Amino acid sequence: MPKTIDINVHHITRVEGHGNIVVRAKDGRVERVEWQVPEAPRFFEAMVRGRKWEDIQSVVSRICGICSVAHSLAAIKAIEDAMDITVSEQTDRLRRLALYGEYIESHVLHVGYLVAPDLLGLKSVVPLVASNPDLVKLVVRLHRLGNTIMEVVAGRRTHPVAFRPGGFGRIPTERELSGLRNALEDAVPDLQTLADTVYSLKDKLPAFERDTEYVCLVDRGTYTFYHGNIGSSDTTNTVAVQKFKSVANEYISPQSTAKWTKWHRDSYMVGALARFNLNAEHLYPRAAELARHFGLHKNNCNPYMNTVVQLIETVHSVEHSLELIDELLAAGLTREMPRVTPRAGWGAGAVEAPRGILFHSYAFDDNGICTGANLTIPTNQNHANIQKDMEKLVPQMIDRDQEEIRQALEMLVRAYDPCISCSVHYLTIEFA
Amino acid sequence: MCDTIVIGLGNPLMGDDGIGIRLVNDLAVEFAGDSVEFADAGTSGMCVLHLIAGRKKAFLIDCALMNADPGTIRRFTPDDITARNILAHLSNHEGSLLEILELSRRLGELPEEVVIFGIEPVRVSPGEYLSPILMEQMEYYRQLIGKELSECGG
Repeated sequence: MPKTIDINVHHITRVEGHGNIVVRAKDGRVERVEWQVPEAPRFFEAMVRGRKWEDIQSVVSRICGICSVAHSLAAIKAIEDAMDITVSEQTDRLRRLALYGEYIESHVLHVGYLVAPDLLGLKSVVPLVASNPDLVKLVVRLHRLGNTIMEVVAGRRTHPVAFRPGGFGRIPTERELSGLRNALEDAVPDLQTLADTVYSLKDKLPAFERDTEYVCLVDRGTYTFYHGNIGSSDTTNTVAVQKFKSVANEYISPQSTAKWTKWHRDSYMVGALARFNLNAEHLYPRAAELARHFGLHKNNCNPYMNTVVQLIETVHSVEHSLELIDELLAAGLTREMPRVTPRAGWGAGAVEAPRGILFHSYAFDDNGICTGANLTIPTNQNHANIQKDMEKLVPQMIDRDQEEIRQALEMLVRAYDPCISCSVHYLTIEFA
Repeated sequence: MCDTIVIGLGNPLMGDDGIGIRLVNDLAVEFAGDSVEFADAGTSGMCVLHLIAGRKKAFLIDCALMNADPGTIRRFTPDDITARNILAHLSNHEGSLLEILELSRRLGELPEEVVIFGIEPVRVSPGEYLSPILMEQMEYYRQLIGKELSECGG
């Protein structure tokens, strides 16, 4: 067995954005283990300064092409907090429905396109089309469903345009919602097939455990993605969203350019596994049944299971979306014109983005002009935990082949579904 | 569904990376009709897979590093590009558009014709404005792409 390990993964594939993995070991002794990432897109905080309150959500929706709805809603909640704006039940339901669309789209993309290749011994999803075309087509269909929900409810497939502080600029028609309802029902068999496939491959997920603090929104009686306070697996007390800085406690790590976060321990994990560990008893029936099928219980501390929980949350998203649509149709849709009087204030909003709890806060002057902003994104909150996981995993695997260690580390990072500075799209072209 | 779709990609908050979005918004004003649809796909490369499915022709407009002079616009098709790590991995950043088009092709959904307009940036960094070089050429880009749109019924 090689005792000298030299791993240098530059720009790990199948994650959003760029990150590097560096491992050095000599004579069986680990000298260096680093998860390296560039700083998160803090320039967005500068970019919203001087903007009007009503323009903030369209700016921040461009932070990410995958979690656009989450950023928009977190911003809007912060603005509503700052200006004491309340919303109707209809608005609340529609927002959660849009967020579910993003969950279906994001989680299916992660499970189907980014993680499945690892489980099937492939470099990407593209060769999977040849070997397993039906599976790929199913993943594309489910992914498309998420996009369609966002288009109908949020006004565009990416970067929502329909959201406003106080309500919606445009609401879907009852016919459109009925169409979504049918599409969601039709997706259930596809979801079952995807779940069966992942289940058949579950032994490919490493059995690694590390006792970890988990942080997410908690709202009594619900598996919440939108309402609630900040909860932790380390305490039964919850913290108001406005106090999120006392939870994140950002600090500079000498090992990375990105800031790390910590609360009760050196690091904490956010995302699907965190939500499961704090709220699993509130999953909807099919999702709960799937969790039982996978043998998942609360207090699971295997980060590789984050992917499996994303699958479970996708099922929950479909179930709850059907219920939300039924509630909206039963109440009848009403055209509501948000009437907002901007005023000076500071507010914070939190939403569970697919990758974890997301915080936005803004300050406004008397004219509703933004004077400052602070954004803490989920992936930034996971960097320290990824580092700590690697520090435990590498010594455990030190006697294995270098390629096996590299693969396990890459899969570890992918399990977190990190979204790192994905705010540009330029191509790099070489002509034939 | 329109036979032809024109998709703008990029982030208008990141300087010249927003050129695709700006162009598609301008072109939509002049050319949107029964046979041509316009879409802002932002930075979601995966969205392109769904937007092009079932179309006869797709135009993609994006900021592109082509080793050309800043402001240069080039028209090309996926076949014109060397297979740089094509099919090796799927990453939603840099060059992923080619993998998405390949995925579309293997799924049997790729339009008969895919045309990419790439524009070489001066800078891709925070800022809601284009570089002067690109700004000055906006009319030229519009005319160049618009001419092709007119020819396909737009």
